[in-house]
Amino acid sequence: MANTDKQVNELIKREYEHGFVTEIEADTFEPGLNEDVIRRLSAIKGEPEFMLEWRLKAYRRWLEMEEPEWAHVHYPKVDYQSISYYSAPKRKEDMPQSLDEVDPELLRTYEKLGIPLHERAALAGVAVDAVFDSVSVATTFKEPLAKAGVIFCSISEAVKEHPELVKKYLGSVVPAGDNYFAGLNAATFSDGTFVYVPKGVRCPMELSTYFRINAANTGQFERTLIIAEAGSYVSYLEGCTAPMRDENQLHAAVVELVALDDAQIKYSTVQNWYPGDENGKGGIYNFVTKRGACIGKNSKISWTQVETGSAITWKYPSCILRGENSVGEFYSVALTNNYQQADTGTKMIHLGKNTSSTIISKGISAGHSSNAYRGLVKFGPGAEGARNFTQCDSLLIGDKSAAHTFPYIESKNKGAMLEHEATTSKVSDEQMFLCRQRGIDPEQAVSMIVNGFCKEVFKELPMEFAVEAGKLLEVSLEGSVG
Amino acid sequence: MIAAPTLSSAFLDAPGQSLPSPLLKLREQRGKALVDMPLPTRKTENWKYSSRYLKLDEALAKTLPSAGKSGPGLAVAGYHVVFHNGVMVPEASDYPDIAGIEIKRFVDLDDDEARELAERLDNTLDSKAAQMARLNTARFEDGLLIRLQADAVLDQPLYIICETDASSAGTAYPRIYVDAGRHSQITLVEEHITSGSEPAMTNTVTEFALSEGAHVTSVRLSLDGDTVQHIGATGARLHANARFENHTVGFGGPLRRHDLQVRLEGPGAECRLNGVVVTQGKQHYDNHTTIEHVAPHCNSEETYRNIAADESHAIFNGRIHIHPDAQKSNANMSNKNLLLSTGAEIDTKPELEIYADDVKCAHGATVGQLNDESIFYLVSRGIGRQEARALLSMAFINELVEQIPVDSVKDTVQARLNRFFDQTFDEA
Repeated sequence: MANTDKQVNELIKREYEHGFVTEIEADTFEPGLNEDVIRRLSAIKGEPEFMLEWRLKAYRRWLEMEEPEWAHVHYPKVDYQSISYYSAPKRKEDMPQSLDEVDPELLRTYEKLGIPLHERAALAGVAVDAVFDSVSVATTFKEPLAKAGVIFCSISEAVKEHPELVKKYLGSVVPAGDNYFAGLNAATFSDGTFVYVPKGVRCPMELSTYFRINAANTGQFERTLIIAEAGSYVSYLEGCTAPMRDENQLHAAVVELVALDDAQIKYSTVQNWYPGDENGKGGIYNFVTKRGACIGKNSKISWTQVETGSAITWKYPSCILRGENSVGEFYSVALTNNYQQADTGTKMIHLGKNTSSTIISKGISAGHSSNAYRGLVKFGPGAEGARNFTQCDSLLIGDKSAAHTFPYIESKNKGAMLEHEATTSKVSDEQMFLCRQRGIDPEQAVSMIVNGFCKEVFKELPMEFAVEAGKLLEVSLEGSVG
Repeated sequence: MIAAPTLSSAFLDAPGQSLPSPLLKLREQRGKALVDMPLPTRKTENWKYSSRYLKLDEALAKTLPSAGKSGPGLAVAGYHVVFHNGVMVPEASDYPDIAGIEIKRFVDLDDDEARELAERLDNTLDSKAAQMARLNTARFEDGLLIRLQADAVLDQPLYIICETDASSAGTAYPRIYVDAGRHSQITLVEEHITSGSEPAMTNTVTEFALSEGAHVTSVRLSLDGDTVQHIGATGARLHANARFENHTVGFGGPLRRHDLQVRLEGPGAECRLNGVVVTQGKQHYDNHTTIEHVAPHCNSEETYRNIAADESHAIFNGRIHIHPDAQKSNANMSNKNLLLSTGAEIDTKPELEIYADDVKCAHGATVGQLNDESIFYLVSRGIGRQEARALLSMAFINELVEQIPVDSVKDTVQARLNRFFDQTFDEA
């Protein structure tokens, strides 16, 4: 094994590829949070009165809430007064109208990440609402979307342009008082994405946002709201990378999805934020509330996530299945390495008749990391004929890693059926032997085996994401074999 | 913020003084530690679904008086020990004097024996998870110590019948400690019954210490009455190659809670935990089990089945914890639930917590109802619809009942279950 150890050590030393800081002048608030900060934030964004009221109400509520401690993660307490709540890239006269107007420094950042905005957009037919820190700076493909009647813009814009939609749906799925981090987000969210797909429209392209956290010490508080009217369809991609930092950065986002009759929303995430170094120093705290409401009959919401980054992940994309025959899906790959900690899973709340849900969760823990699946499947008294299938598998790499499963199952309807399965195993010696015997080096062999383990989830991802996800796993697993 | 309710100080009033002094001292210590103990609420994770059933009224603070006799109808063929309101009744008990096997009341222990026991009581139970068991230690008036020397084998099952006499309000605190020496073997049947119909509570703790190669089979029947809340804890610690088997059968009540904690501390130790729970009316039953794989090369198998009818509520929480050095562990847990009515509720949480990589762990859980096709099949052969339902429900759990290694208990349980299903499907 001496040879392997050497290889491993070399690989371990390899640094996070996506860690660099773009030097752009940022317009940043001094750290601290109080009502004045919220007023200033709201004023800078030129928000109407109702928004400010909403934020202040959320803030007052938040002050009375306590930070949750039930998750299987350990971290030093976050000092919410030491965080700056607004940071925007220096803007010139107005927001750039096209890619050419975008700050070249910014575009180079994306290039370093391997996602040249224009190429990617042109090749894949993706309209990218790129969020660089907190303000949307480039939005492409707006016109064809507008032709179809799809509204795809930043949430700040939506607050001004479409206040009636925002008023109606913002906070309808994740209320401001839902949980501690959602409360913080409601009070301080700086920007995010807004999507509205009108009745009967099939969104002509995959929508995508590339999130990036940039300026040091700035929490990124994104808020995303997607509304799919009756009979519409939309697929949304979210991907994340963040530069290297020593101090922990807080990310408390909220995503709300609303699906009306016969509507379908597909939400895919690849999350690759800075996970901290090999000693567990630094990294992003990712405390996210994601929830979708299937309000209409026959509606469907599907979450697919590949989580490889962040020092701490606290995230439970959920579905409230209210409409008859509505469908919820959750496909997840969560990989932790070194000292990363993840507590992630889903909630499927079955309220309507004949609702069904599927949960496929694959957890991989390597190094000293800890990876927990926490899920809730609930059948209310009205969930006649509801179905759920849950499978959560864990794969352990190395004897210092930990994998946990905490599934909560609650049923109040005799006509509901549920099956839950969970297994835990390691990459077996036989599998490794088979690969090595065929001349595949250990590093590649593990990556191959892991990719096989995750295949069920990857096939749910849009094609370009699936490729990226496979690559990400490879990078994230480097140094875990030994 | 409203302060969480705490245990009424009435529960900590000095109980009777007939125990040997080391045990009195232990009791006092535990009592002190319970001052201001917060009572479980909906926010207490391991009481999440059950706290609303727990009623620790001041009336229950009184320890039920023991008349030193037992109620009628307790005649059991075979070895038996009878407890009346937590105090052993020697006249009603019958067990042989077998070389290497000591069966003693706590009140009869000499100081040395009591000192040794005082050091070992509560050692098998996690104080946080089985908080209510500490109340038993603060309050017990008597108890049963069973000590098996190396290679001792008890040739027949020993019945321990714990009667809670609810002719007045109060709580009974039965306590059992089993010390199984190297390669010893014993089968224990613990049966909880009620006489009288005032609101009362049984708070019982049974502990097993298994030395190398010991085999212990325990059967636990919870048959308390409709006015009695039952809180029970069973703990077992296993050394190398020891085997512990537990069969739990529970019928619902106003509050039924059983915490079962097994620690596999020596290589080659193994355990099998089976459980059957049926609830009807507005009954409740909550089983919490924990299996700790502390040593490598241990096996655990766990199967629990619940049936909830009418507006009843059945809960299962199973936790498997594999410690960092417990390589080559095998653990399997299965929990299946049958929900017979939409007013009823089933909550289950099969947890895995794993800190070692070379392990095989799996759990499965299902919740569902009787299969329409199976019912149709039986009906098409001339069996009544309700009878078909009763048959299929019985079949759902009988697989586990059949595994109870004591025939007389198996027969009793099957008869009671059949009665339960007749009632359930008669009214339906």
